[in-house]
Amino acid sequence: MNITEIQTAFVTDTRRIAIIAGLTVLSLGASLLAMVLGAPESLLPLPTLPLTIPIILAGYWYPRRGILFAACVALLYAVTTYILSPPDPLLAYTILPRAILLVLIGGVVAFLATRLRESEQQMNQIIEFLPDATFAIDREGKVIAWNRAIEEMTGVRKEAMLGRGGYAHAVPFYGEARPLLADRILQGDPEEGYPAVRRSGDVLVAEVYTPHLRNGRGAHIRFTATALLDRSGRVTGAIESIRDVTDEVMTAAALQNAGRQLNILTGILRTDLANRLAVLYGHLSVGAMKFDDPEILSFIDDLSDAANGIRRQLEISREFRDIGTSPPAWIPVQQAVRKAAATLSFGNVSFEAWTERLEIFADPHLATVFTHLFENALAPAVKAERIVVTYQVRPEGCAIIVEDDGTGIPDAEKEGLFAQKAESYGHGLFLAHEILAITGITIRETGTFGTGARFEILVPSEGYRVV
Amino acid sequence: MITAAVLPGSGARPIGVRPEVRELLSAEFPAADEVWREYHGTTGDPARDRIFAVLLAGRIVSLARCRRHPDGLEVDGVFTPEDCRGRGYARMAMNALVVACHNDDLYMYAVESLAGFYAEFGFVSIPERDLPPGVRERYTWAAGNMEGAEVRPMFRRAGLF
Repeated sequence: MNITEIQTAFVTDTRRIAIIAGLTVLSLGASLLAMVLGAPESLLPLPTLPLTIPIILAGYWYPRRGILFAACVALLYAVTTYILSPPDPLLAYTILPRAILLVLIGGVVAFLATRLRESEQQMNQIIEFLPDATFAIDREGKVIAWNRAIEEMTGVRKEAMLGRGGYAHAVPFYGEARPLLADRILQGDPEEGYPAVRRSGDVLVAEVYTPHLRNGRGAHIRFTATALLDRSGRVTGAIESIRDVTDEVMTAAALQNAGRQLNILTGILRTDLANRLAVLYGHLSVGAMKFDDPEILSFIDDLSDAANGIRRQLEISREFRDIGTSPPAWIPVQQAVRKAAATLSFGNVSFEAWTERLEIFADPHLATVFTHLFENALAPAVKAERIVVTYQVRPEGCAIIVEDDGTGIPDAEKEGLFAQKAESYGHGLFLAHEILAITGITIRETGTFGTGARFEILVPSEGYRVV
Repeated sequence: MITAAVLPGSGARPIGVRPEVRELLSAEFPAADEVWREYHGTTGDPARDRIFAVLLAGRIVSLARCRRHPDGLEVDGVFTPEDCRGRGYARMAMNALVVACHNDDLYMYAVESLAGFYAEFGFVSIPERDLPPGVRERYTWAAGNMEGAEVRPMFRRAGLF
């Protein structure tokens, strides 16, 4: 059974044949009766228009036999009309074109109906073999498609589900008849019942836990649904895919747990290291006071620089601690830029940010990225007088551009700019790179040495929006 | 008479208040439309436009628009209500637009008498045929007679100034 058969389920084969036969007898009979009783001369031979109705219906419902049926009706019409009409030498020339027209109508309708069936068949095949469990409902909420994958997921055969309404399709998931996301779309309130529903273009996505799948062991499932529209944009139904994401959720939970454990461990190590570093600074201070030999003082300075390097590494590792622990979200870029700028002193450096209305899907630590970019631009050695943040919509996505008019970055340093290191201009850029990479955002430096640095944060198409 | 658009939540104390220059949010576009009512009935479309405004105590005192066409960016809608002119507000709005959109080449039909003003922002005169077709569409009615229409096609190459 397929979509077409469900859509025409109200008219069974028997009823269709009865309708076609009835209409044929009625229209042909009326013609004959009129001729027997004596129709006005001007109407003879009688028009064939009423006969086209059963021919069209037969061609649409039974495309393979449509042309044969049309030929039979045309023959019957021609013979009876020829016999019963008053003799006329031109009668045959009048009847023949009409009979041919009837056959042509039958042929065209049968051809179009065949193409329609083929198209529907293809659509059915596509839905049937989708790897994700998928079903579709019509405007009345009756199931019109229930593919192989959803049969496997729910254990409910399509024969048992097709044509059923009253939210019967929800029972395998929730144990009760209740609206699913597709039904909510038809009702116009997709958020109702799915608090975490999110919209991606015309598609609605929601994730829920249901205790009824996996033989009652429960499963995390992701519903993806969209409306089915006709050519004029009216909703004619909805289609919904269901994916079991239990493994993904469990892996994410395990990773989060492991991350938490690692954070605890690194926290302990960091505290321990900071304590020992404090002791080292104490000894260095005492040493600087105790000795006045320039060689020893220079040695103490070197030790102090090394200790500062360790302290900076500790600061970076502290910033790293929380990255990736909160899920990414749509973040207004202007807010993140302002947040970053508020933590820094710009002195005489002018600062402009023109990213209002732009939102990107990023780790919540996005502001840290800007903090590190601004910090580098504000370093006295860079000699920047102006920092500008803008964005550019490109075919491949959106670029957020942070540029300054300082010394810029030598070509030789560009390649390793985002590598992990403690010193030089790249301080913190590794961290920025890692924060952005969480949601597939990349960063590169495209400035010209001598005219200023220009960082391009490249956001993929699906990861930005202008609101 | 120019109707001044006042953004919600703003007072009306223009004296001694420093003008604020910023890009308008989508929700603020109707306020810009209100100001533009006297300017050929121009209206903003959040899907295509970025609107830069100068505000004085919440009142829009100058506007500039950058419209995204499929084949290029067009600057238009540079407008200051009559009672706010002569104070450099249009220059501030244009400056904001040019900095914010400097990553792309910009095109415009400048009012002939203001060509010098736009030249300050790096715009140069170009033949009309050098405008992208999407930008050119607006002045199709002029049939190439730019002098008659009293406008001048201009172009600004991408880059900060």
